[in-house]
Amino acid sequence: MMKLTIVKPLTLVMAFLALPMSTFAASSAPSWLQETMFASGKINTVVMVVSVVLIGIAIWMFALDRRLGKLERRAKEQTNAGQH
Amino acid sequence: MKGWWWKLLSVVLLLYVVIVGLGTPLGPALVHVSIDRIAPGPNSMEATGYNTHFATNAPEVWLENDGQRVCAMEVKVLSDVQFAAEFNVPEGFRTNLTSLWAWDAQDGQVVLREAFFTQGLGTGIGQDDCVVSDAARTSFAFPNRSILNETIRNLFFHVPMWFTMMVLMTIAFWQSLRVLRTGDLDADRMALSAVDVSLLFAALGLVTGSIWARATWGDWWTSDPKLNGAAVTVLIYAAYLILRGSVPDPHKRARLAAIYNIFAYVLMMVFIMVLPRLTDSLHPGSGGNPAFNQYDLDSTLRAVFYPAVLGWILLGIWAYTLHQRTARLRSIHDEANDR
Repeated sequence: MMKLTIVKPLTLVMAFLALPMSTFAASSAPSWLQETMFASGKINTVVMVVSVVLIGIAIWMFALDRRLGKLERRAKEQTNAGQH
Repeated sequence: MKGWWWKLLSVVLLLYVVIVGLGTPLGPALVHVSIDRIAPGPNSMEATGYNTHFATNAPEVWLENDGQRVCAMEVKVLSDVQFAAEFNVPEGFRTNLTSLWAWDAQDGQVVLREAFFTQGLGTGIGQDDCVVSDAARTSFAFPNRSILNETIRNLFFHVPMWFTMMVLMTIAFWQSLRVLRTGDLDADRMALSAVDVSLLFAALGLVTGSIWARATWGDWWTSDPKLNGAAVTVLIYAAYLILRGSVPDPHKRARLAAIYNIFAYVLMMVFIMVLPRLTDSLHPGSGGNPAFNQYDLDSTLRAVFYPAVLGWILLGIWAYTLHQRTARLRSIHDEANDR
């Protein structure tokens, strides 16, 4: 059950990632991106900065997720203890 | 804040910031020229542009020295971003640094300032009959500053981190005042949540700033008042967390932490807003100059920067409310367990 729910979005994500790559492969002329943004080499700094922000927020989200999960487990244990 | 509309607003704003902030092209610029000195007589050179359109719009090319111009004798366009130019440099330029200018109908004027060391100086060239076009560029593009270039986009991802941090620290400050007024433990918990989330944004601000500094100033960290002030602020607030951990009694801890937090807030203001402005600094917004108005913040950047600030602040407040609600749940559980 768990596996199925993960696989479907994963294949979707892969498909979305593969789409633009195929268009890159098809065109031999340098794209607009390659000609402008990447030409200076400085866009990599922006890519890194945006990545750091996203990764930082993602880590924070995971930490909060764990904290909530712990609380949920404790709540479950308490209700179980109350029933017995 | 009540409701969900502001959470949606923050997502929409940040989506706009990513799309427009990364998708808008950088304005045209001259970035390189093949020679670095000119002398009286014929001089030929090749110049390289960035995001220019020389092939579709034949450029006018000229030299400028202390307001005096010399037009190119011959310009040969090699591509959209490259042309070769031939100059007959006269004797008698007044200053020893000469700039290279070009104009085309699509890009407007572009310049490589102080491009050439100039030989054969004098009291001025006799005749200056080089007439140039100055019709401006009309397309929507971010300014192309030397050294910054494409990294100017970091403005939307680095600066708002600090704004968000300051908003969250203001929330913490306010909650600490509430603790002192009422002794409310809920307010103490909210102050802790706000400080916790503000430190996330401070860390993001430090790391993104460090990466940006590496690309523009050449080093991951410079001993700059703004940078050190920000680092000290993070340490002061980290000490807030340590202080809390060392006091077991919750009521005593709440009052002590609140008093410390009020001092920390004032220190943060001094270290980030006051001290950097009193000395020279590489960092924009320091050395007596506020960041706004002065620092190249033109209308195209503003159109993305202001939404970015609002979007990130709303996201920060959202993160704070999540954190704070989790903490409340935990305290409810703890109380239930104690009974």
